[in-house]
Amino acid sequence: MLGDFLAKLIPLDLFAGLGVTGGYLFRRKETVQYPEHRLEPTDRFRGMFGYDLERCIDCYLCARACPIDIIYIRDHTEVEEVDGKKKKKKVIDRYDIDVKRCMFCGLCEEACPTEPKSIWLTTKSYEGAAYERNEQLYFDKERLMSWDGFLAFPGVVTPAEGQAPGDLKGEKRSESVDEAEAS
Amino acid sequence: MSEPFETLFEGEEMELSFGPQHPSTHGVLRVMLKLDGEKILDAKPIIGYLHRGTEKLFEKEPFPQCIPHTDRLDYVAAATNNQGFVVAMEKLLGITIPPRAAYIRMILAELQRISSHLLWLATHAIDLGAITPFFYTFREREEILDMFEAYCGARLTLNTMKIGGVPFDLPDGWVETCSDYINRLPAHIAEYETLLTGNRIWKKRTIGVGVISAEEAIEWGLTGPPLRGSGVKWDIRKVFPYDRYDEIEFEIPIGKNGDTYDRYLVRMEEMRQSARIVRQCLDRLPDGPVMARVPKVIRATEGMVYASVEAPKGELGYFIVTTEKATEPYRCHVRPPSFINLQALPDMVRGRLVPDQEAVIGTLDIVLGEIDR
Amino acid sequence: MDQPLYQFIVIPLVKIVVILGVLSLIVAYLTFFERKVLAYIQVRLGPNRVGPRGWLQPVADALKLLVKEDLVPGGAQKFVFMLAPALIIVPAFLVFAVIPFGPATRLFGLLPEAIPPYLTDVNIALLFVLGISSIGVYGIILGGWASNNKFSLMGALRSGAQMISYEVPMGFAIISVLLMAGSLSLVKIVEAQQSSHLWFIFPGLLGFGIYFICGVAETNRNPFDLPEAESELVAGFHTEYSGMKFAFFFLAEYTNMLVVSSLATVLFLGGWLRPFPNVAWLGFLGIVPPFVWFALKVAGFIFVYLWFRGTFPRYRFDQLMHVGWKWLLPLSLANVLLVGLIVLLVKG
Repeated sequence: MLGDFLAKLIPLDLFAGLGVTGGYLFRRKETVQYPEHRLEPTDRFRGMFGYDLERCIDCYLCARACPIDIIYIRDHTEVEEVDGKKKKKKVIDRYDIDVKRCMFCGLCEEACPTEPKSIWLTTKSYEGAAYERNEQLYFDKERLMSWDGFLAFPGVVTPAEGQAPGDLKGEKRSESVDEAEAS
Repeated sequence: MSEPFETLFEGEEMELSFGPQHPSTHGVLRVMLKLDGEKILDAKPIIGYLHRGTEKLFEKEPFPQCIPHTDRLDYVAAATNNQGFVVAMEKLLGITIPPRAAYIRMILAELQRISSHLLWLATHAIDLGAITPFFYTFREREEILDMFEAYCGARLTLNTMKIGGVPFDLPDGWVETCSDYINRLPAHIAEYETLLTGNRIWKKRTIGVGVISAEEAIEWGLTGPPLRGSGVKWDIRKVFPYDRYDEIEFEIPIGKNGDTYDRYLVRMEEMRQSARIVRQCLDRLPDGPVMARVPKVIRATEGMVYASVEAPKGELGYFIVTTEKATEPYRCHVRPPSFINLQALPDMVRGRLVPDQEAVIGTLDIVLGEIDR
Repeated sequence: MDQPLYQFIVIPLVKIVVILGVLSLIVAYLTFFERKVLAYIQVRLGPNRVGPRGWLQPVADALKLLVKEDLVPGGAQKFVFMLAPALIIVPAFLVFAVIPFGPATRLFGLLPEAIPPYLTDVNIALLFVLGISSIGVYGIILGGWASNNKFSLMGALRSGAQMISYEVPMGFAIISVLLMAGSLSLVKIVEAQQSSHLWFIFPGLLGFGIYFICGVAETNRNPFDLPEAESELVAGFHTEYSGMKFAFFFLAEYTNMLVVSSLATVLFLGGWLRPFPNVAWLGFLGIVPPFVWFALKVAGFIFVYLWFRGTFPRYRFDQLMHVGWKWLLPLSLANVLLVGLIVLLVKG
């Protein structure tokens, strides 16, 4: 009886809670000061698109795999004479991705049949905020390669400079270029 | 002035539109309250502010492309949403997935359950005025999201399961990270319990609030922690095991009184049990492929299937109807746990005070993405 | 210059300006302090972008509130709506007229004679404080009512009930101090603690506990912050206020925290006295000026306020009343009886 009364009067349960929060007062803080420090995404992170026009075989699989249909492709066929033979060749006129609507599911990358992929998402860069979404977040094929107006993650090169899936710094390509120069 | 004093106050009711923009409605739920002072005479949830027509979208998407859309149902527990859909599809197509894929799926689903419960605890505590647990639980949730990111590349809308398995194998070092996290988790849960479980204010706010008896809970069709809080031992993982849950040992925590406090205790215990499941899965993780042999373009036969999984919020079921050689569902109905759990809200708050409503909404753990679909 | 003019006009005017200025500054930085303490409890850093380490944050906040559009909701009682913020902030500041920050001082020899730093020493100062601070509740009730918003109205009603019921045990807790000090003047109370060789917290621990709990409830702070309970009533009585009017409510809340903390310091912790004022070998503590001791004690109380906010859930309205009337009131009555008996026995 008296014990119950005292237990109600002296709020030990509340003091325990105060102890927890008070203990955290001097603990290391979890905040990451964003623009100065960036958390580095993992290797599989689905960030901004990379695209390689040379590898792309214009098969439309990515556009078909996209659940929200934001990849727009248009092409025409050119006839070219190679060694006296007439050869049909597809030329991509338009390869646009409406990045503002993208939900980064990665199905386009998965669908791509080329090796290495010609459209890929794991490029770490994620800072796509823009003042004008219709212009700045709509990427045509040149912008997809040059990342014009898009902030790349520090150390990541643009697709035009040699980025490839699993090779964000463009090292392999520069190696092969070096080899080609050496030979 | 001959009227007796009491009748003067009859009919003095107030209607209060609670939401859709309100700090404690967990999204865009709107509740029309009929109040007598602070006493709730009636409550009527109004939904639909987040309707995106997901079920209709399923009808035009090929099966693999439905999965990103399931992410957006219960957007804080994408892995279990994916799991529900792929389990249903595998049942329909008769695919058996490799054991490694099943174990990876279970690990992801249980991590997702922990993360969802951590989010629930954060918002529930903030609804009842305790603002600090929010930051502690988010710190732990962050690590789970980091693990998801390391595994599949996304943090929230995972799109991490495929019909026939999982898209990737675990990356190097992932098992160690996860195992380390699971070892640390119980200490953190104990910390939240110090802040809340014994706290007299927390007890006063939750004990005896939003009581629902076992019979009522079953009649309303409640599932998940709201049902188990009333003392019904019902868990899809035990009664209709999917993936490889039949090989794993775990308890189903149940409550006794069916009040907010019991549901709180049930969820806290579920986090520990989930950690236990993850630990077992990590220890037993078999080798082998992570994808079954599935054709590139999946074509179904004519038929229909219902399969459900135990999502963090309750039973998440997918009812899929297909036609012959179809590449997309003819109809796909989702049984979202939050939608059905929400129906009990008026019964649980009637006759109580306005602050109790926050406690009840918090304890039902609703997600509007799943309710409106 | 005439002596009376000098004494009754110039000195008080200077004091008023200084007290108001310093007080406003302290209150502004109190918001900063609160955000920092809460952030540190919650394993984050808090505001640190405006100025060095965020020290200009209150300035930025004030500027933002000043230039913000001042909305008056349709259907609001305009005059009352404007009056309410004034009604709440004026009494909050007014109380500081009688709070004794320190003993009469010559300010390190700068002044020709010793001048008390507080504005005035009224012989009914405690009554004055209780009376004036009760006016604040009108501001809340009128503001909530005039906003023409159901959430505001509910917040105002809660606040009215809460402040009135917690004033009763608070008054009784203060009476126990009166019994010990034998005076209503705040300066005399501090002096009584000096002459009786101990702070009143030691004989009046229970009274102190009751006073502080009631103080937290009076200022609508966690765990008694029902009138502005965010998750229930959006922002309670000041839901519809914006710009500087909102700032007034906000500042009044913090000023009231300062009032309750200062009063607790004066009544129970010996005001400006150093710890153990009569123990000779602790004399080196006397190097610290009395005003600093006062500020330190107040800061301690404010920190406890913030610590509470960072830790506890919120009571429900009926439970709050339950705590107030069924626990605090009987306890405070028993405390008065107990303290009265002890005083009778000791003083004969």
